[in-house]
Parts: sequence; structure tokens; C-alpha cells
Amino acid sequence: MTVQVTASEGGIPHNTIMAVGLVGSLVCLYLTYANQFLNAEYAAFFGGLAAVFALLWGTDTIKHLCSYGIGTGVPSAGMIAFGTGVIAMLLATKVETVMPYSAPIAAVIFGAIVGAVSGWIANSVLKMNIPVMVRSITEMAIIGAIVLMGFTAVMAGGFSFDTLAVQEIAILGPLTMPSYAGSLLGGCLLAVSFMLGSIALQHPFNACLGPGEQQDRTLMLAAECGFLSMIVVAVISFAFVAFAAAMLSLIIAVVGFVYTYIRFIELSKRDAFAWLDAKPILEPEGED
Amino acid sequence: MTAIEASSSGGEGINPVASVIAIVLILIAIAIAYFIAPPVAVSALIGVIVGGLLIGFGVHFVPVGGAPAAMGQSPGIATGVAMLAAGAGLAGLFGGAWAAANPEFGFAIVIASGAIGGGLLMAITCLMVNIVYIFGMGIPAASGKVAKDPITGDTQEAYKSQGTEGHGLPFISYVGGVIGGLLGGAGGTLIYYELLKLYSELLPSILSAEAAQVVPIAVSLAGIFAIGMFLVNAVLAAYNITGTIEGPHDPKFKRFPRAIIGCATASAVCGLFAILIVVV
Repeated sequence: MTVQVTASEGGIPHNTIMAVGLVGSLVCLYLTYANQFLNAEYAAFFGGLAAVFALLWGTDTIKHLCSYGIGTGVPSAGMIAFGTGVIAMLLATKVETVMPYSAPIAAVIFGAIVGAVSGWIANSVLKMNIPVMVRSITEMAIIGAIVLMGFTAVMAGGFSFDTLAVQEIAILGPLTMPSYAGSLLGGCLLAVSFMLGSIALQHPFNACLGPGEQQDRTLMLAAECGFLSMIVVAVISFAFVAFAAAMLSLIIAVVGFVYTYIRFIELSKRDAFAWLDAKPILEPEGED
Repeated sequence: MTAIEASSSGGEGINPVASVIAIVLILIAIAIAYFIAPPVAVSALIGVIVGGLLIGFGVHFVPVGGAPAAMGQSPGIATGVAMLAAGAGLAGLFGGAWAAANPEFGFAIVIASGAIGGGLLMAITCLMVNIVYIFGMGIPAASGKVAKDPITGDTQEAYKSQGTEGHGLPFISYVGGVIGGLLGGAGGTLIYYELLKLYSELLPSILSAEAAQVVPIAVSLAGIFAIGMFLVNAVLAAYNITGTIEGPHDPKFKRFPRAIIGCATASAVCGLFAILIVVV
């Protein structure tokens, strides 16, 4: 049983979106390193912007892959993206402790390796025979790794394995002691960002697919989902980064979400055949 | 090439060249682990590979119906493999993680707890699905792929509505769902347990902390890796059956050998990365 999935032709070419997504997210991830030179983690919000760039790219990739009718539904693509991405991302954070400033590039390389192997298995060993399969799964593993790394940067202000594994907690004022259970990894907040990211990746095309699918509307929904996930991540970041930095991330996430949501509704009205501003059904008064 | 020309029907039989390359990849991954990691890592990698192929095999038993099942037009549970596998796998992981936290319990009890967790979730899901189908939608359970239920011998044809491929969960699909849950839960727990043992042993020296302190990190890392690998294997197996399957009696079930090869390879590569994190 294969459901025919229709997607729009034309629009911005996929290669352009991929280039913008990859370069944009890498630049934003590297901008989060500015945290080390500021007196608080004010640059943490760049991680959320990196995730939004990657999600825009990922939505277009999913559109290309799923227009071939893979038979398993769009959400499965988001799940495999983050399943492979989380492995690449965690190994990249560990490499960061050995080679500083290498984590974003390492995440892309490891994601490409895991994704290429998974895509090749699906295409050759499992005989899917879809032309874009290897490339799409490779891209999505990279996207999964970048989104997780971006959300991690928002939450913890950085993505070195040591930053994620240990949290200094103050006891009796000046004294501090390392806490492993209170850290980002120990609290398993990676599982939260896993689901926040994978739902944001799989939802936009799943919601917009059909005969009237328009690229700008789908991508706007992707950005909206990205900022919506960033709101939750920014709230979590209050536990790890300075109050002002977390507040900055939260404000940027809310502003981004409100703007993209309004734009998405405008685009939906544009593409709809007709629009009825429905009012809630009023209960007639005085009749029992 | 357009979407319509590129058939994704998945074809029957295995691809010999790709399968041989896949097996070579597994051996390369084990060799890398053998040369750069301590001996405990090699046994962990083999455990991860076995767990991955158990998951891939288990998915083939689960009656996945997808969107047509939601409309009562084909048998199975009305959702995709990713959701079902995540449910059964996470339920299994909860059971297995509970048992793994108790040092008195050995390997067999931990894996059995995981299997029972996954199997129990699928049993409850299948029961509630049938209750909704039979009492909510008013349709009997009937298979479209076989004339007689292989276990009970009940005839199916007379209960099948015209224009559908069958509907509801026949007995064989129910049994398949529970077996799939047992295998998936056991596989997921095996991945978790092997990684947990590895991390508990190697993390204290890396973070220069006491063993008891790093338990949250070890549990969290093993858990998130187990979830990630579970989803990768489940989705690859779902690609193999192209989305929907009725259960072990479905002709698509015969495709499982290539899913076992594929899932073992994917687990080997992912497992190697998971091991590298405590070696680099």
C-alpha cells in the first residue's frame, strides 16, 4: 500500500535551500562560541537559530524523499533523522573536548557517515530503489545532529561533553561541588530536545502535503515549528545559563514564533479557496 | 525520473552484492572496536548488533495498518511503524531499565523484563484496538491475506467486507503483535544494558569521578543511544515492509532476512560510534 504523496514543483531549488541551511546553521553554531568571551551566555540563542535553519533545510529534504511514496508515512523520516543524528551529535561533543572548536564540523561529518550507511542499507540491502534515498537520509542525519546541537547550545550555552556532563552547584554560598545528576546529560534533557526536534522536522510537510502544497507555506510552517520548539528549550535553559541570557533566548524564540505564525496564517489564507472567519456557536439565551 | 516511475514496492529476494558488503561492514566495525577499544567494548558492540537485529526481526511480526486501517479498510493497528515501535520499545526499555538498576538481577532477568514490557504494551494495544474496531466501528476481525487463520483455523473470507483488504486484528495478527513486542523490547533492552555496562565501567576514569556519581550520565547516555538505535532499526525494518504488514502470515514477512542484515549493519555502525564516545 503506497499512498501517493503530492508535492509542489518549482520554487527555490533544493540545492540552494541545502546550501543556505548548512552554511547558515554552521555559522550560527560557531557564533555560540562567543559565549566564552562574554560574561554571560548571551550568544546561546544562536543555537536556536541554527536549529531553525536546519529545520528549513530538513523540511525540504523530507519533501523530496516523501514525494517518492516511501510507504511508511512522513514521521518515520523524522525519527530516523534524529535516531542517527543523536549518535553523531554526542560523538561530536566528545571530540570537542579533544579538539576545541571542532564540534559543528565533526557533527556534520559523523552525521554524513551514519546517514550514508543507513541510506545505503535502505536503498540497496532493503531494495527500496529510490534515487534520492542515500542523499536524503545523509542530509537528514546531518540535520538531526545540527538541530540537537543547536538546542543543546541554547540550553547549556555550549556543547562540549564536559559542559553537558557536569553542572557546578553552589552550596553554602562560595562553595561549589560538581553535580552529574543535575547536568544536561544527567537529566536526560537530550531526550526532550530529541522529540522537540523530530516533531518540528516531521510535522511541516506532513501537515502541508497535498495537491495545494506551496513551498513558501511549508517552509514558513517549518520555521514556526522550529521557534515553537525553541521556546520550550529556552525555558529549560533557565536552569543552566544566566537569567539574562535565558531571557534573551526566550524573547527571540517568542518573537520568531509570533512572526512566523502570523505569516503562516497569511499564506494559508492566500492558498485557501475561501476563508470564513468562523465565530464560536453562541448558545441561545433564555431557552432551557 | 518521476515519483511514479520509481517503484518503491520493495521487490522480493535479497540483493547478494549489497548483503555481502553489509556483512563486511559489520566485520570492519567489530575489527575497529577490537583494535582501539578495551575488550569490554567488543562484547558490547556484539550485544548492540544482536539487539538491533532482534528489533528489525520483531517489527515484521507487528500488525501495522497505517492510514487504511484507521478507516477499517485493511487489518492492523491504525498507525505507522515508527509510533508502534517507539511505544513498544520505550515500554520495554522502562521494564529493562528498572531491572538493570538492581544489581541483584542478572542478564537474563534484565532482558526478560524488557521483553515482557514490550510484549505487554503490544498485548494491551492490540486488545484495545480490537475493542474499538468491534464495539466502536462495528466491524469483525478478518484477514485479507489468508483464507484460514493459521493458528485457530477460522475462515476469514465470509467476514471480509467487499472492497477492503480485511479489517480488525485476527487472532494471528494479535499473536504476531505480542511476539513482535517481546522481540523488540528484548532487543532495545539488550542495547541499553550492554551500553550501560560499558559506560559504567569506563566513564568514571574519563570524568575522573567516583562510579556512583556518574551513574546518571551512564544511564542517560545508554538510554538516549538505545532510543536512537531503536528508531533507526525500526524505521529501516518499516522501509523493508514498505509501511504496512498484517503479521507473520503476511507474504511480506518473507522479506525479513534482508532486514536482519540491514539492521545488524546499521546497529554495528551506530554501536561503533556509541563506543567511540568513551574511547576518543
